[in-house]
Amino acid sequence: MKGRFHDGLSARPSTVEVAWIDDGLRFAAEGGQARFWPQVGLKVVREGDQARLSHPSDPDARLVLTEADWLALGGSAAVAVEKRGRVREFRLVAGLAAAGLSVTAFVFWGVPVFAGPLARATPIQMEKDMGRSFDAQMGAMFRRCEGEAGQGVLDELGTRLSMQSDTSFDVRVRAVQAPFVNAFALPGGSVLVTDDLIREAETPDELAAVVAHEVAHIEKRHVMQAVWRSLGVGLLLDAVVGGGTGAGQQAVLLAGQATDLRYGREAELEADERGQALLTAAGMSSQGMAPFFARMHGEGEDKRLATAAEFVSTHPDSARRAQRARAYEKAGAPALTPSEWAAVRASCGAGSKDAVTRLKDRLRRRGDKTPVDQGDQVGQD
Amino acid sequence: MTDATLDGGPINDGLGPLHGVYPQDFEAGEVLRFQSTLQPKRFLGLSLRNGLLNIVTLTLYRFWGKTEVRRRVWQGVRLNGDAFEYTGRGKELFIGFLLALVALGLPMLLTVFAIQFGGPAMIAVLYPILYFGLFWLWGFGLFTAFRYMASRTTWRGVRFRLGGSARSYGFKYLGALFLSGLTMGWFWPVAQRGLAEKLWDELRFGDRRIRFRMARAEKVSVYGWYALGWVGTLVGYLVFVIGMVGLFAALGMMDAPEGQPPGLGFTLGIYGMMLVLAPLFLLIWSPFHAAMLRSISAGVTLDGAGFHLDVKAMPLWWLTVSNMAALLLSLGFLTPWVQARTAHFMVSRLTSAGLAHLDLARQAGRGPGSGEGLADAFGFSAI
Repeated sequence: MKGRFHDGLSARPSTVEVAWIDDGLRFAAEGGQARFWPQVGLKVVREGDQARLSHPSDPDARLVLTEADWLALGGSAAVAVEKRGRVREFRLVAGLAAAGLSVTAFVFWGVPVFAGPLARATPIQMEKDMGRSFDAQMGAMFRRCEGEAGQGVLDELGTRLSMQSDTSFDVRVRAVQAPFVNAFALPGGSVLVTDDLIREAETPDELAAVVAHEVAHIEKRHVMQAVWRSLGVGLLLDAVVGGGTGAGQQAVLLAGQATDLRYGREAELEADERGQALLTAAGMSSQGMAPFFARMHGEGEDKRLATAAEFVSTHPDSARRAQRARAYEKAGAPALTPSEWAAVRASCGAGSKDAVTRLKDRLRRRGDKTPVDQGDQVGQD
Repeated sequence: MTDATLDGGPINDGLGPLHGVYPQDFEAGEVLRFQSTLQPKRFLGLSLRNGLLNIVTLTLYRFWGKTEVRRRVWQGVRLNGDAFEYTGRGKELFIGFLLALVALGLPMLLTVFAIQFGGPAMIAVLYPILYFGLFWLWGFGLFTAFRYMASRTTWRGVRFRLGGSARSYGFKYLGALFLSGLTMGWFWPVAQRGLAEKLWDELRFGDRRIRFRMARAEKVSVYGWYALGWVGTLVGYLVFVIGMVGLFAALGMMDAPEGQPPGLGFTLGIYGMMLVLAPLFLLIWSPFHAAMLRSISAGVTLDGAGFHLDVKAMPLWWLTVSNMAALLLSLGFLTPWVQARTAHFMVSRLTSAGLAHLDLARQAGRGPGSGEGLADAFGFSAI
C-alpha cells in the first residue's frame, strides 16, 4: 500500500510503497533506496484519519499512512507498538512519585532536624545584623510606646532575666503599640511586647512570665531556627512547585506551612519551661505564667476575650500549657515593685478603661466580620 | 538556495503585494491551507489525568504533562494535509527548569540575604538592579522559550528555527514596558507589534525565512480599539469605585473605625464585584485584542504567502471568558482543555493567500538542548 514519506532532510514528500515484512516496515520510493524500520523502536501517533510513524534509526524521517492502512498493515504488532509507550509512562510516573515523596519526607523531617544545628552554627554577628533589619521593619509597623520610665523598667526586667540565661545576645525589651495581645522575640535579641498584652496582664508576674518566655526563645535560638526552617521549607517547596499558582501547587505550599506550625509548638513548650527556670533563677515568682495562659484560653472568664487574643491563635494548646506551667511553678519575689508596675502600665497610655472593657469594645466594633490578626512571621512569639 | 526573496507572485489579500524576485526556474509554490482536527472534549480525560498525576508527584509531573498537551495540540493542526509535530520532551523542560533555578534562584537568594544583612544602602543599590534586571530577564526568558518551542516543532519532518538574540529581545521588552509606562499605556500597541516583529522576523521553517512586514501589519488599525479599551477602563474603574462606595454605604458597612481592617463581608463584596466586572473589562478590551491578533498575523509572510486570522471581538471575548470560568471552577484542572479549544479557535480562523515554496525547505539544526526554564519560572506559557 501507498504512504507518504518525509526523509527529514527536506520538506519535499515522496510517495512510497509500504509493506510489513520480517517484523518491520519496508518501504521505498519509486527508483529510490529501500528502507527498513524494525518493529522494535517503532513509534506511531494516530490523529484523525492519519497514522504518523517514526523510528530512532532515522530520527527526523516520518512515514504517514492512513489510519486504516496502518491497522491493516501492522495487525497485532500495531497494538504492541502503542502499548510500549504506556509502560514507559508508568515508569516515569512511579519515579516522579518517589521523588515527590522524598521531597515531602525531607520537608517534614529533614528541614526541621537541620534547622536546630544550623541556627546554633549561625554566627552571632550575622544574627545581630539580620535582627537590626527585622527590627527596623517591625519598628515601622509597630510604634514604640512613649512612656520612657515604663520602657526602662521593662528593659531592665529583660536584662535581669537574660543574665540568668546562657545567651550572647544583648536582650532589649520594649513596649509597642499594636492592636493585639502578643509578644515577639526577633533575631538578635530584641523583644517587642504589645500595649494590649501589657493591659491584659493582671500582675507584674504575668508580664515577667511572658518576657521570660521570650528570653528563653532568644537563648535557645528558636528565632533563628524558625528563620532557617521557613527558609528551607519555603525554598525547597518553591523550587519543586516552581512558584506556580495552580491548585496542586498551592496545596503543596500549604502543607509546607503546616510543618512549620508543628515545630513552632515544640519550641513554645521548651520556651515555657526554660522561662519558668529563668524566673526562678532570678529569684522571681514563676506563678504568673499559668494564670495568664489560663485566662488567654478563656477559663472562667469571658470566652470572647480568648478568641480576640493573638497569643492564643499562635499558641493553640494554651490550656495544656497552663497546666504544665502550674505543675512547675515556684514562688518567689514579685517581678516588679508597685511603682515599677505602674510605670510599665502607663508606658503606652493605659487609657481610661480597663483592659476587658477595651477588648469588649473592640470586639463589638469588629463584630464577626474580621478574622483575628494573624500576627507577624519574622518573630517568635 | 536559502532565503528570502522568493515570491509566489503578488498575493491578493488587500494588504498589498509582497515584492521579490520570483525565480523562473523554480516550480510553482503551494497555497497554504490550515485545518484543525482538534476535538477539545478529547482533552478532558487528559486534563483529569495531568491534574491527578501532578498531585501524586508533588507537581513534578507538570513538565511531562505540558509536553503531552503540546504533542496532542500540535498533531491536531494540519497544513496542506500534514500534521505539525511537537518533538519536545518532558525531560528537556525539567532540565531547563533546574537550570533556571540555579540561574535565577541563586542570585535572587543572594540578593534577599544581602538586603536582609546589608541594610538600607544595599537595598537602594540592589532594588533598581533587581527590578530592571527582572524585566529584562522576563523578555530574555520569553524569547528562549519561543526558540525552544520552534526547534521542537516540525512539519513534514523539518524543524522550525528561531534565530536572533534573546539578549536584544530582553532589552526591547524592557524598553517596551518602560515606554508604555511613561505614556500611560499608549505606546503598548506599537510595542506589541515591535516585539512580534522581532520574534516572527527571526523565525525560519528549516532554512526558509519567515518575514514580518510591518507595513502590512500596520494596515490593520488597532489604535481606535485601544482608545476604546483605555477610556472604557478609566470610566469603568470610576464607576466601580463609586458603585462600591455607594453599595457599602447603603448596606451600612462603612462605619468601621479608623485603623481597623475591613470586615470579611467588605472583602468578599470587593471580590464579588471584581468577578462580575472582569467580563465587562474583557469585553471593552476584546476589540483591541482581536485587532492586534489580526494585525500581527497580517504582518507574517512566507515567500509570497500572507496570512489572515479572522478573529472578531465577540467570539474572542466569549472564548476568554469561558476559558477563565472553566479554569476558576476546575481549580486549573481544565488547563489542557482550555489550551486545545483556544488552539482550535485560532487555527480554524487562519487562512492564507499567495504561494509559498514549502518543498524547498531544508532541515534546520537541532536547537537548544533544554527549554523554557526562565519562562516557566516567570509563569509564562504560550501553551
